[in-house]
Amino acid sequence: MNCWTRRQFGCLAGAACLTAIAPRVAKSQPKARVVVIGGGIGGATVAKYLAMMVGTIEVTLVEPKPRYTTCFFSNLYLAGMRTLESLTHGYETLAQRYGIKIIHDFAAAIDPAGKTVALKNGATLPYDRLVLAPGIEFKFGAIDGYDEAAMQTMPAAWAGGPQTELLRRQLDSMEDGGVFLIAAPPNPFRCPPGPYERASMVAYYFKQFKPRSKILILDSKDSFFEQDLFQDAWARLYPGMIEWLPGQFIGGIKSVEVKSRSIETEGGTFTGAVVNFIPPQTASALAKQAGVMDQSGWCPIEPTTFESKLQPGIYVVGDAASAGDMPKSAFVANSQAKTCVFAIAAALTGAERFAPHLFNTCYTFLAADDAVSDAIAFEPEAGTIKISEILISQVGESVETRRQVVQQANGWYDAFTHDVFG
Amino acid sequence: MAASAFLFAAHDAAAENARGAELAAMCAACHRLDGRDRGIPSIVGLDQQKFTNLMEAFRSGKRSSQIMNVVARSLSTEEIAALAAYLAAQQKGSIRP
Repeated sequence: MNCWTRRQFGCLAGAACLTAIAPRVAKSQPKARVVVIGGGIGGATVAKYLAMMVGTIEVTLVEPKPRYTTCFFSNLYLAGMRTLESLTHGYETLAQRYGIKIIHDFAAAIDPAGKTVALKNGATLPYDRLVLAPGIEFKFGAIDGYDEAAMQTMPAAWAGGPQTELLRRQLDSMEDGGVFLIAAPPNPFRCPPGPYERASMVAYYFKQFKPRSKILILDSKDSFFEQDLFQDAWARLYPGMIEWLPGQFIGGIKSVEVKSRSIETEGGTFTGAVVNFIPPQTASALAKQAGVMDQSGWCPIEPTTFESKLQPGIYVVGDAASAGDMPKSAFVANSQAKTCVFAIAAALTGAERFAPHLFNTCYTFLAADDAVSDAIAFEPEAGTIKISEILISQVGESVETRRQVVQQANGWYDAFTHDVFG
Repeated sequence: MAASAFLFAAHDAAAENARGAELAAMCAACHRLDGRDRGIPSIVGLDQQKFTNLMEAFRSGKRSSQIMNVVARSLSTEEIAALAAYLAAQQKGSIRP
């Protein structure tokens, strides 16, 4: 089925050509091999667009999980507004329609000099270009007492799946009048509005079913993205329910105690009936092993190609990348992935390069009928990536405006996941 | 001369089409390119002039949409033209993503 793109190539105007970016090559010429590691939004987008728009490339996607549950919109699952199934996507279409070879295994080690990837099962994949989209990892050890075992009692729920289900079960079984503690991580971290959207959506659930309950956010920061929008919504929709304690008040999170479900800070110890501990984050260990991570814990990239600044021939997209002003969001991962695809096509096939366009949009729910959004355009500038245009929802918008954003958000989820997995 | 002029013209058309396809890929993050509308309007098969006028209105702010205002302001006139030609040439159901 991957020859769809090749069959369509000859057309100019008048036919379906979301394809025509690479020149023809003789059939006898061996296909260049691109291996993509990580089947989240960044990696799946790279694989799909390489296979769809550049038919002369053999694409392999390495992802351990058989299905992917989006982290974005998972707060709606916590609020009872979405099933987890509706947020879960398979890789069948990528394999069947676009001819991508999907390998459900872990990438164990990368050899940049030999240009190979060793898989956990022992196989070795040679590549001409490698794309890493490994996402984030938690910095276990940064907070005393918080490790993988602790996650089973105080879930992070910062990737869609079993952790999200665990947190929902805990919230379901919590008694009315309980305290839900959220520990929000220091910058940079995946999904800047995420912890505060979570507070809003859990408050939406509490308001209906456990109205005497409280939500306490212990923050590592003194401010957060769209703070005015959130604080306005909390006062309007959930008066007295949500309290946010900034870093300067709590003086930093020191340790956790799993048994008592408590968090110790400089300013005192806080205990919750349910604790959502979102730890400090870093790029995955694989990025470090591959030599694409710097001292910041993230992966510096060339802003017009997303090729690693540290390892030529290896590209990094998504949350693991350190990309100037670009936040760690699904939309950004998708946008970076497409820019990366066009750069790889140019490098491998001589396809013409055009100025890249990078965008972000985040939809953030405050209640079932109240959502806000932001739209940002970015431009490569002086070796990094800067914001060139930004518009964000405003406090005081009409009920109708907010309802329209909800409708748009749902339409976006459908189109976006179709763009990545469909 | 005539032959080389033709080749250049063909190259330009192919390049414009490739540029349109790349820009359309960016649009696909919100607009389904199979033409379905499930909350975000379809842009496939839109009349070239109508699309250009719409983008100009988004760019100037005459028409208000948070996301489209940002997108339109980040595109050049030439890019809008390439995108308009590309999308106008597509038919619903003809593009996979």
